[in-house]
Formats: sequence, structure tokens, C-alpha cells
Amino acid sequence: MRNMNLYSRRDKLFVYANMVLIGIFTLSTLYPFIYIAAISFSSGFAATAGKVVLTPIEMTFAAYERVLSAPEFWRSYMNTFIYTIGGTIVSLVIVIPGAYALSRPQLMGRRFFNLLVAFTMWFHAGMIPFWLNMRDLGLLDSYFGIIIGFAVNAFNIILLRNFFESIPRSFEEAARMDGANEFQILWKVYIPLSKASIATITLFCVVARWNGFFWAMILLTDEGKIPLQVYLRQTIQSLGDDEEFSATLLTAPYSVETVTAAIIVCSIIPVLIFYPFIQKYFNKGILLGGVKE
Amino acid sequence: MQHLKLAALALATTALTPALPALADDHHKITDKPLELTVHMHGKRYQSYDESWPVEREACAWTNVCLKNATVGSNSNDSREAMNLLLASGDLPDIVGSEMFKDAANQFGPEGAFVPLNDLIDEHAPNLRAFFEARPELKAAVSAADGNMYYIPYLPDGKFGRGYFIRYDWLEALGLEVPQTVADYEAVLTAFRDQDPNGNGIKDEIPFFARQWEELIRLVTLWDGRSSGSDTPHDFLVEAGMIQHPYAQEGYRDGIKNLARWYAEGLVDAEVFTRGSSAREFLLSENLGGSTHDWFASTSGYNTTLSDSIAGFEFKAMAPPASPSGRRLEEHRRIPVKPDGWAISYANKHPVETIKYFDFWFSEEGRRLANFGVEGQHHDMVDGKPIFKEEILTNGRPVNSQMYEIGGQLPGRGYHQDYNYEIQWTNEYALEGLALYEAGDYLTDQFLGVAFNQKEQKVYDKYWSQIRTYMLERQQAWILGTGDVEADWDDYLSQLDRMGLNEVLKVMQSAYDRQYGKG
Amino acid sequence: MMRAEDTPPAREQDARVPGAAKARLGAALARFLFRLRQDWQVYLLLAPTVIWILVFLYKPMYGLQIAFKDYSIFRGIEGSPWIGFEHFETLFASDQFVRAVWNTIKISALSLLIGFPMPIILALMFNEILKDTFKRTAQTIVYLPHFISSVIIAGIVITAFSPSAGIVNTFLQWLGLEPVYFLTKPEWFRPIFVGTTIWQEAGFQSIVFLAAIAGVNPSLYESAVVDGASRWQMMWKITIPSIMPTIIIMLIIRIGNLMEVSFEMIILLYQPATYETADVVNTFIYRQGIVGGQYDLAAAAGLFNAVVAFVLVMTANTISKRLSRTSLW
Repeated sequence: MRNMNLYSRRDKLFVYANMVLIGIFTLSTLYPFIYIAAISFSSGFAATAGKVVLTPIEMTFAAYERVLSAPEFWRSYMNTFIYTIGGTIVSLVIVIPGAYALSRPQLMGRRFFNLLVAFTMWFHAGMIPFWLNMRDLGLLDSYFGIIIGFAVNAFNIILLRNFFESIPRSFEEAARMDGANEFQILWKVYIPLSKASIATITLFCVVARWNGFFWAMILLTDEGKIPLQVYLRQTIQSLGDDEEFSATLLTAPYSVETVTAAIIVCSIIPVLIFYPFIQKYFNKGILLGGVKE
Repeated sequence: MQHLKLAALALATTALTPALPALADDHHKITDKPLELTVHMHGKRYQSYDESWPVEREACAWTNVCLKNATVGSNSNDSREAMNLLLASGDLPDIVGSEMFKDAANQFGPEGAFVPLNDLIDEHAPNLRAFFEARPELKAAVSAADGNMYYIPYLPDGKFGRGYFIRYDWLEALGLEVPQTVADYEAVLTAFRDQDPNGNGIKDEIPFFARQWEELIRLVTLWDGRSSGSDTPHDFLVEAGMIQHPYAQEGYRDGIKNLARWYAEGLVDAEVFTRGSSAREFLLSENLGGSTHDWFASTSGYNTTLSDSIAGFEFKAMAPPASPSGRRLEEHRRIPVKPDGWAISYANKHPVETIKYFDFWFSEEGRRLANFGVEGQHHDMVDGKPIFKEEILTNGRPVNSQMYEIGGQLPGRGYHQDYNYEIQWTNEYALEGLALYEAGDYLTDQFLGVAFNQKEQKVYDKYWSQIRTYMLERQQAWILGTGDVEADWDDYLSQLDRMGLNEVLKVMQSAYDRQYGKG
Repeated sequence: MMRAEDTPPAREQDARVPGAAKARLGAALARFLFRLRQDWQVYLLLAPTVIWILVFLYKPMYGLQIAFKDYSIFRGIEGSPWIGFEHFETLFASDQFVRAVWNTIKISALSLLIGFPMPIILALMFNEILKDTFKRTAQTIVYLPHFISSVIIAGIVITAFSPSAGIVNTFLQWLGLEPVYFLTKPEWFRPIFVGTTIWQEAGFQSIVFLAAIAGVNPSLYESAVVDGASRWQMMWKITIPSIMPTIIIMLIIRIGNLMEVSFEMIILLYQPATYETADVVNTFIYRQGIVGGQYDLAAAAGLFNAVVAFVLVMTANTISKRLSRTSLW
């Protein structure tokens, strides 16, 4: 952190105005979370009738009792962790070397390979061919299929490659003099210098995995393997239908809204805990970045 | 935990086994040697077939035909998506059952995916044959363009779906009668708006509200218009053997004109288009809503749940108000045949046994099993009628949800529903409403859909979606007051014409004539 | 494929002598093999990425051909008959599709114009916060809406703009204005939609720029302070130029996403009354699909989107390469 004496007096106004603006925006973005949390602690009826605005109405823990007592919830929660951690590790193991290689000037056909990667951002096979391909690879209904099948994302590669390219050549020269090979240069020079960017990519992988549900829904047939987001959707469906058919649920302590909200709160908490670990790499002074020039 | 559960299940089944032989006499036995058939079965609430469902075990014991789960896409809650994956894989199990199956069955059946059932039914399935002989229009409704039947449908029972509901206690408070005509209805809604029936001193009442804005459009029936010919919104209808679209009819124009007026005058919820599913809970529990058009069972339920919080709360059904021409029409009704059901795939080596198995579910015992679960476990026979066990009726969960869990009431299985199953858990206010509607005979015939041949399908696909979009855009604009339906009407009709409405009607008519027989 | 400096210097001289051509080919091959051997480590590092992309993304791309076929799921892609450009003709014959294309472009252009700078501004603003705890907490919060599903966000927006109870109309009434039923007004759809997505995503999108700012060499700031530069000047003279490559890459990618509009959010917020401005290509196809379940037509529209996006990106990429030497490929 740069310290206070770097700021002149004329900067003070700028700094405070900035803080106020950020504060307002932050509060507004906090609202959805407060709203969800308030719903999760409200009575089913109050939530269904849309009476909750800021604070819980007819405070109850019923939704959490319902959610936390379901073994399916814990199993899908566990699965989400498996997919997120496994998927992120696999992604990084493939993407970091790939991005590094694509940033190397001595790579023959570099433009071609970069285009090959970028092309996939716009041209997609479509659901059915992708599914058939996964089936032919024997990756349906398996943890491994979900982990490996979505490992590489063109956006992440390009982003990381771009970061690698902005590191000045001079940093690797010393290592090269000492006879370091490409693996060592990547490991000892580029990775330590790109902690912030790798942290970013890691975050993107984690978030994509954490939120992802569509392919898990399509590829997995075993209910025991589904991640939390799919479980959430199934819960909404079954509880919602129950309510549609029965007026007695109006008096039940929870409703599809409160249970959904409780699951969302549970799914956001790990994200909240995780972010600071990534965030610390965004602070200045920890690393020596470079400017391409 | 899991072990305990399994142990309990094992106990339960062993305890039952002694009872089975008594039930399982031989007259339903299809084969001597047990036959195992694979099945894809997908529905929103039961995303795959489960061999351990008590209903299935019972059916297996009776028929000696046992199904084995081979469901694809069982974590998706979209049955069509699961079906598409199954078909794309090219690897079909013996039996394919699903919700929203009709289009796939009637498109891919003729392409060879499924076996035509007509001859099989005639030769091997007496119950099915008898059923469809009695209801030829249902047979026509599920048949493909080539005249063959490719799937056995799920056939719901019961007539009434939605009805008009009004606050009887408000009527009483304002000294008003239950409205009998559309003019009365307007007067009552106006009184609800102006005379503070909830007595809080604020003019905050919302005379008419709806959870789905389509139910507002349905009010065009009060002026002899129509909003749909089936239980799907905005559908075509049949009048004197001719296919028409309700949104191109005079009555619709008059209806929309009046609804626009109601909307402008505040007789209709100003936020009807965005309030969404919470409208009913919110407006009733806040003592704001006066009248709606919604499902009998769930809407009646508020009389119980809100009786404590709102003194004298009485939200009950009323007969459809008569239109200026004197017609009382309840447009919505349950459809007698759903696009759900099951079929025999081309890969099935035992089509005869399979159709016999399908037929079993149309036998008396089979139908009872599909509707009420296993005798002794889920229902008892009282005076020759199946009555659900007390614990099933009183545990607070809807009976249909409980049935799904044991393999009963599955739309992915072709069967004929028995409305008695639902009556047993319908509350008294709803039953009262149903009796009122039954007495009045307010329903009309439904359009049960057509099966296109390829050429017709092309025409329909090309034009229809866009015509529909245009119709809905205009409709909402008129109600919101950004356009005057009377002034715009001729332009609207000629635009529909330009967009190909007549082409669509023509192919629908030709399909309809082929399917249901002219005249 | 080869870069300019790799081509042999003597290319024109004896092009017509077959022996020489052969020799040149041989030499090129030798040089290729030599470089392959010399830089094999780089290719080894690249291999997993390329193999993965080929196996998981390119291999199933044969499926794109259904855009030109009368696709029957049961008959399969090979078994379905070719019909040429019929799907494209169907699409472009429809006024509503053309309207949807324009709506897509207009919504995207608006969100590009406002939505693209927002995360950058946010990241720069975060960078100017002194209090560490405040900064960390605020950063954590602004990225939260990204984790809340569109259904809930849309619900909040619908409530906020509701004519009877919404905060926006309450404010308007307080100012003495008439309440407006915003979500049925075509002219309000774009601002509401774009505003919602910015509000939901700006925090998350700012992370890339935060990371880029973290990579700026601190010594640059130190010398600027010695020169007496203000915070404002440092931001313009040091921070922004330093993160320019990231900004440009993100801009090119963003331009490439011009045809992609958050479909789920539109479905939740639009009404027939607002189709006029709200109906985009994806929602148009979605409604078409409800009627026919038409994968082939959807594939045609998807291919059209992809080609438009690709042309836009190529253009942006070329311009960027000329001006800044930053490029996607």
C-alpha cells in the first residue's frame, strides 16, 4: 500500500468524492444480497406474497432447517466443491502453459494458433453435437467429464497471454543466461511475475465452475453427482409444483422462495470467503509488474 | 442415515410380499418367463424411471413384464430436451415415455423411430381398443399425419380448471348481488374500486387481478370474444368444423375495446403484466384484490389460510357473467388428452408383449394402480371404491406429489386419470365452485390440436410464430392504451393477412379435416 | 503461417528452376525441423491446449452444418437432407428477425458505450481508495450481484420500476411527476436493461482491470510523485496507459460479443408491448423454437451471429494492430 504522504492536499477532495461515489454504488450492489438473505429468513407466505423488501418478515429459520437437513443438499454442495476445485486445477494446468507458449515470439505459426483459440469464442458446435462428442469420448455422467470437458476457455487464454506479453523481455534474460529452459522460465520468471493475472484467471475458472449448471444438467444422469446449482433448480421445480397444487402450503413455514433464497445464501458464502484470497494479489507492491514499451 | 433408510425400505417390502400373491393372480400375466424391457421415462417431477417405485413393482408382479431404467438426460427438468438427447443418440430403449412427447412421437414415428400402434391395439389390447372406440376424437387427436397412432397418451380426467372468483364478503359489505351479466360485473368492480370494501379508508382496492396476464385476456369472453380454443393460451379454435383464430374475430375486438376501457378506468390491476405469480398471494393477503380468474383448487384454499388474518374473508367462485348476447362461457377447461405418454421404439423386440403391458394400465386394476397406488399401502377399497389412506390425505403435502414418489400419476406413462383421485383432496370451497359450474354447463368444446404433414409443418413454422408475436404486441398495446383497437382493426386484419394467417389457417384446416374427418 | 522474418531472403531469384525450388523446399523443411527441435519445449507447453481445443471444441463443429440442412434429430446430422440457404432465407424474409438484429445491435452498442467504460472507471476508482479495509470490503460487495441469478435480479428490477410501489416511481411522485409503467414502455426498455446488466456485472468485470493495475510498475508512480504530479495526473499519465493493452483486448472481445445479449435477462424483463425495442435475435429464435423445436433454424441464426461477430472482431483486431500493436491473434 502506498501511504498517505504520497497524497497532496489538493488530492484530498478527489479522494473523498471518489470514496462517496464508490460507497453509494457498493451499497446499491449489496442490496440483492440483503434482499435474498431477508427472504431466506422470512416466512414462506411473506416471501411468496412479495412483502419482503429489506428485512425478514415473520422471522424464521424454517427454510434453513429444510435446506440443511436434506442430505441431497450436502451431497450436491460437496460435488460443487469437487467440480470447482478439480476443474480449476485442470484449467490452470492446461491454460497457463498454453498461454505462455502462445506469447512466445519463437513459436512458429503463432498467429495461426492464436486464431485457432480465438475462433472458438464465436463458433460453437451446438448442444447436440457437443453432447454426442462427450458420449463418444465416454465422458457422460462422470465427474471426470465435467472437470475435463470445460477446462479451456479461449477468453482466459487470451487474457493470460496478453499479460505474459506485457512482461518485459529483460526479466527472463538473466535466467536464460544461466541456461534455464522454457519450463524453468515459465515457472521461475513468468508465473511469479503474473500472480495478479493468474489470480484473475483462477477466479474466473472458480466462478464459472461455481455458477455453471447447464452442462451438468445435460451430461449427468446420476442424481448423486449433480452440483448445487442443479439441485437448486430441481428444488425450485418440485417445491413450486407442490405449492401450485396445494393451498395448505400457504401456511407452511417455508416456501419455494425462502428455500431458494436459503440455498443461494449458502452458495454465496464460500464465494465471499474465497474472494479475499484472490484479492490480496491485486494489491500494489507485492509484485513487480512491467509496462510494455 | 442412508443405511437406515434402505433397511426400512427392505423391511417394508418384505412385510408386503406375503400380500402380493393374493393380488397377483394370473389374469394380468403377459408372459410366463419374466420379461425385462428398458425404458426412457422423463417428466418434470420424476426425471427418470425408478424400478423401486411400489407401483412399478406391483405392475411387474402382476404382468411379469418389468421395466429397467434407461433414461437419458435425467437431471434436466425439460422433458423435450431429454427426448432430443435420446433421439440424437440414436440408441433407443424398448419403451420411450415422456411429458411433451406428442410432437416428437408424431414427427419421428413416421421416420421410423417408433412403432405404429393401430394394428397392435386391435389385435392385442382389448382395453385400449375399447377406450378409443368410445372416444374416437381422442384417437384422432393423438394420431400422426399418416393416420397412425405412435404413442399411448396420458388422459387427464375432470372438466374444470379455472373459474371466476370474487370476494363475497365485499359484495355483502357493499350490499351488492353476485354479478350475473357483464354489466353487473362492471358495476361491482366499479363499486370495489370506489366504495372502499376493505374499509381502510384508502382507495387502494384492485378490483380485478390475475397471476397470468393471459387470464385478463380471457375476459374477452365476456363480450363474446375468445382467447383460446384449448388449454394453451392464444390457441386456435374450431367453429362449425372450421379452424379460426380467436384474435382475428369481431368478438375479440369488442372484448379488447372494453378491457382497454376497464384498464384505463382502474378496474383492472394496473400492473397486471408484471406482477406475476405473487399477485394472488399478495393482493389477497393484503386485503386488496376483489376478483380473479384462476384455478379452483388453489384459489379456494385462501378461504382457509386467510380466515384468521382477514375477518370474514370469503373468496368464492361465481358463475361466468353473461355476455351482452346472453352467453355464459367458461373458456378454460381441462384438456382430455395431454401431449404426454409412451411409445414402443423400433428397437423393441417384443412389441406384442409391450402393447399388452400398455393395455394393462387401461384395465380396471391397472388404472386404479396408476391413479391410487398400491392397495393396502396407499389406498383401501371402501364400498368398491379406492380411498386414499388417511396419512396420505392429511400429511399436508399434495397427493399428486406423493403419488409421483411412488410411481403413480405419471404423465410419462399412458394412462387414464380418475378424477376421484383429486376429489378426495379438494377442499370444500372448491367443490362448491365445481358444483356451481357443473350445474350451469358453461363449457365449450375444445380444439385438440392437429398433426401436420411435412409440407403443412413448413408453412406453419414459417408464419405462425411471427403472427403470434404480432398479435400479442398489438393486444398489449391496445390494452395499455397505446393504440385504439377500433381504429386499428382493419389495418390489423390486413397485416395478419400479409403475414400469412390465411396460409396457416389453410394448412390447419387440411390437417384438421384429414384427422378428424370432415363434418 | 510463417512470420515475415522467417521467409528466406532469396525468394525471387530462381523461382523457375525446379531443382532450386526443390532445394529451397528442402531447406525450408530442414529449417522447420531445426526450429521444432530447438523450441520443442514451447510446442510441448502448447500441446495440451491445442489438443483440448481440437477434441472438445473443433471435433463437434461438424454440427454447424445443420444450419444448411433440414435437420431431423432422429435421422442425425448425416442423415438429414441438405437444403442450402433456406433457413437463412426464412430468417431474412421475416421483418421481425431483421428488427431483432437491429435491436441486438442497438442494445449492444449502448452497453458497449456505457457498459464497457464502467468497469474500468470502477477499477480506477478502487485504485484511488486509501483505506484498505474499505477498499477490500467494497470490492467484495460489488462483485456479489454476479452470483445472484437473473431471475432474482429481474425481480428486483421489476419491483423497483413498479408503478405502485417501486422506488423509482415513488421518487418521481415525490418530484410531482406522474408514475410511469416503465416495463411496458418500449422507449424505456433499453436504458433499463443496459442499466441492469451494468449494475449487475460492472463489479465482476472490473476484476480484470484491477489485476492489470496491480501489474503497473510502482517505480513509475514514485518518480511521478517526486515530480509533484497529482493523483488525477498519475491516473491519466501512468495507470491508464499502462493498462491500455488489457483495455484494448477487452474491447476487442467485447466488440466480438456484440451479437450476444443476455438472453435470460431479456426474457425476464420484456413484454409483448416492448418487443419493438426488446426483441433480440436470441429471443426471436427462442419463440420460434417454442413453436417448432427448430435446432436447424437456431443454428442458422447462431452462425449468422458468429460470422457477424467474427467480421467485427477481425476489423477491430486489424485496426488495433495498426494503432497499438495489441491484438487477439
